[in-house]
Amino acid sequence: MYGKIKEDFEKKLQNIQEDGLYKEERIIASAQGVDISLADGKRILNFCANNYLGLSNNRKMLEKAMSVLNERGYGMSSVRFICGTQDIHRELEIKISEFLGTEDTILYSSCFDANGGLFECLFQTQDAIISDALNHASIIDGIRLSKAMRFRYNHGDMGNLEEKLKEANAQNARYKIIVTDGVFSMDGDIAKLDQICDLADKYDALVMVDDSHATGFIGKTGRGTIEHFDVMGRVDLITTTFGKALGGASGGCTSGRKEIIDMLRQRSRPYLFSNALAPMIVGATLGILDELLDTTVLRDKLEENTSYFREKMTAVGFDIKPGITPIVPIMLYDAKLAQDMAKDLLSEGIYVIGFYYPVVPKDQARIRVQLSAAHEKEHLDKAIEAFTKSGKKFGIIG
Amino acid sequence: MSFSKNIRELYQQEIKDIQGLGIFKEERFIHAPQDADIEVEFPTGASLKKVINMCSNNYLGLSSHPEVLKAAHQGLDSRGYGMSSVRFICGTQDIHRELEQKVTEFLGTEDTILFPSCMDANAGVFEAILSENDVMISDRLVHASIIDGIRLCKAQHDTYKHSNMDHLEQKLQLHADKRLKVIITDGVFSMDGDTAKMDEIVALGEKYDALVFVDDSHSSGFIGKTGRGTHEKYGVLGKIDIITTTFGKALGGASGGCVSGRKEIVELCRQKARPYLFSNTMAPVIVSGVIRVLDILSQSTERRDKLEKNANYWRNGLSEAGFVLKPGDTPIVPVMLFNAKLAQDFSKDLYAEGIYAIGFFFPVVPKAQARIRTQISAGHDQFHLDKALEAFIKVGKKYDILGKTKQEIIEMYGM
Repeated sequence: MYGKIKEDFEKKLQNIQEDGLYKEERIIASAQGVDISLADGKRILNFCANNYLGLSNNRKMLEKAMSVLNERGYGMSSVRFICGTQDIHRELEIKISEFLGTEDTILYSSCFDANGGLFECLFQTQDAIISDALNHASIIDGIRLSKAMRFRYNHGDMGNLEEKLKEANAQNARYKIIVTDGVFSMDGDIAKLDQICDLADKYDALVMVDDSHATGFIGKTGRGTIEHFDVMGRVDLITTTFGKALGGASGGCTSGRKEIIDMLRQRSRPYLFSNALAPMIVGATLGILDELLDTTVLRDKLEENTSYFREKMTAVGFDIKPGITPIVPIMLYDAKLAQDMAKDLLSEGIYVIGFYYPVVPKDQARIRVQLSAAHEKEHLDKAIEAFTKSGKKFGIIG
Repeated sequence: MSFSKNIRELYQQEIKDIQGLGIFKEERFIHAPQDADIEVEFPTGASLKKVINMCSNNYLGLSSHPEVLKAAHQGLDSRGYGMSSVRFICGTQDIHRELEQKVTEFLGTEDTILFPSCMDANAGVFEAILSENDVMISDRLVHASIIDGIRLCKAQHDTYKHSNMDHLEQKLQLHADKRLKVIITDGVFSMDGDTAKMDEIVALGEKYDALVFVDDSHSSGFIGKTGRGTHEKYGVLGKIDIITTTFGKALGGASGGCVSGRKEIVELCRQKARPYLFSNTMAPVIVSGVIRVLDILSQSTERRDKLEKNANYWRNGLSEAGFVLKPGDTPIVPVMLFNAKLAQDFSKDLYAEGIYAIGFFFPVVPKAQARIRTQISAGHDQFHLDKALEAFIKVGKKYDILGKTKQEIIEMYGM
């Protein structure tokens, strides 16, 4: 009976609006890319997509998706273990294992689901999950669904991680796992995987990395943070997504130790109770991995774009979170300023979003710029110019 | 890294245990689009075998329908492959909003929000709208994804016996003091194929001032005279506050799901539901396909009518042959075998006869309730059903279970 409850919900929504936290969606009337059209006909340059390699609307990938659509149909209408496994699903799992240098891989509908279904079926009450304080929401939900002991270490703080490992030992944890994002999506910084792996060796803990913002472009050949820190083979579990750099449609996976993957296939709830990945997404992701195994031209261009943009913006006087990833947070600290400046930039044809509490800590408001291999130098220059103009207008540079 | 010998052996042992219990799930590789006729590699490495698929959620036969493929192609052409973004950053296209409006119209609700899957819709909706002072009262057989959504929500939780309205009423009385109450049920229960008594549930919701939630994943598109779902079948259109459903079964079968219902609830999900805020938007190619599916279903009831006819034919055929079935009128027709090993052997023999149907047993269904779950599709033609019926009868004779009662089958094969 939907009566006074309605008022209660209306009130909640009003509070969200009054707190300035209401999320409005901008409607795009074109394919994803650098140069996109809004519903009102306005053309803008996109600097806020996870389209790191520019593959979301790549012609070759579109053709691959189309041919698989013809050969393997639109949907499977089944979970994997009933009648939802095609030969190409297994082929993709094997290809990812090859790309990430792991023993085996299991596909999920999304990396959100991979993280959501990981911990519960591997760890029991006597085990310990030790997690970076800034890990992604889906990791947090996965941990919430498990019965294991939970420890949280301060973001990127190796001393604190070591303390937590000792604490877990003091509580006689049977198995311990250190859990971290590879690249942290709000700050663009990279987990210190070399030190994390050393600590794991010292304290006999497993290591799990969510490389969603790294797979395809971090590391010399784009294998991710595991390659960047030269710890391929030392990380026990990697989760990642096909919804960002790898084409951006959907899907994710857990890749790592064979026995763990086997266990997930038997027990992981989002795997057992949600649909198999659609054939055309499987096919296109296969095509993308073949391309990335073949050439580093896209990740090289992204790296070049990233250094160019970071250097120029720093030179102009912006306060940027240091780092090497294509996630470039322009720090503004004030929530209203971040929103006003994003709006001003949009009027200049640059599409970026302001982020503020609760997505980032209070007084840490920012505009998060995300670069793509699809950006050309002229796009970058146009953005830098618009940022400079807007920065001067709001009195934060010059 | 410390994937020690110790931990490796632990997990190896667990896998062995699962195999020892006879509940290891082995995947069969399909080398074809999803359809009534498929080509399967099973066991792995075996040469391809042509079989009739009797166990997919492809209820309307749309998973590889040429019209849907065409729409998907157009989607790829005009709106690209992926969005590489969540909805609220730069992942909302005009067609996402169009699909939300189409679903709203189809289900007769106030508004709709898309999720990557119905699993995610169920996992995210409760936490977004309920708090500690509220209570969720759920049927004991609801889907795993609803259970996960309930586990992630801080509201209190209680259950009622499967489809037992007296028990539900007792629980509503017990929780009279709670701020918000939500009755939670599947529309069609996937393992038994029975439907929730939506009319009685709505009446109880009104009497005790409780919201009504239904997951219509195994109904949307074909249950009810025009396929709107269980709310149509029970004459309670517009009276369900929250409907979740999937595009991963009857509606094309690719992926995606939604929450559809009261405007304020949908809006709260848009602001707060974690799988919506923290997971990718639906891919344009899939959105385009689902829009076409809904157009097809809005124009004609031909496909759901054929499905209904097929399901009746199949159910009657099995029943006349002497199989023990779970009663019902949905395209989910469980052939009861009670014993887990019998269910698996039966499935293997069917496969040898060219019929693909899977055995289900504990823990997916209760102990001593093992079965072959058959699922009928509008993609089946008469000859598919006749051929499958013939195979079921042949294998049924082999195991001598035709015309036998539950008791007799259990006496022969054990629980």
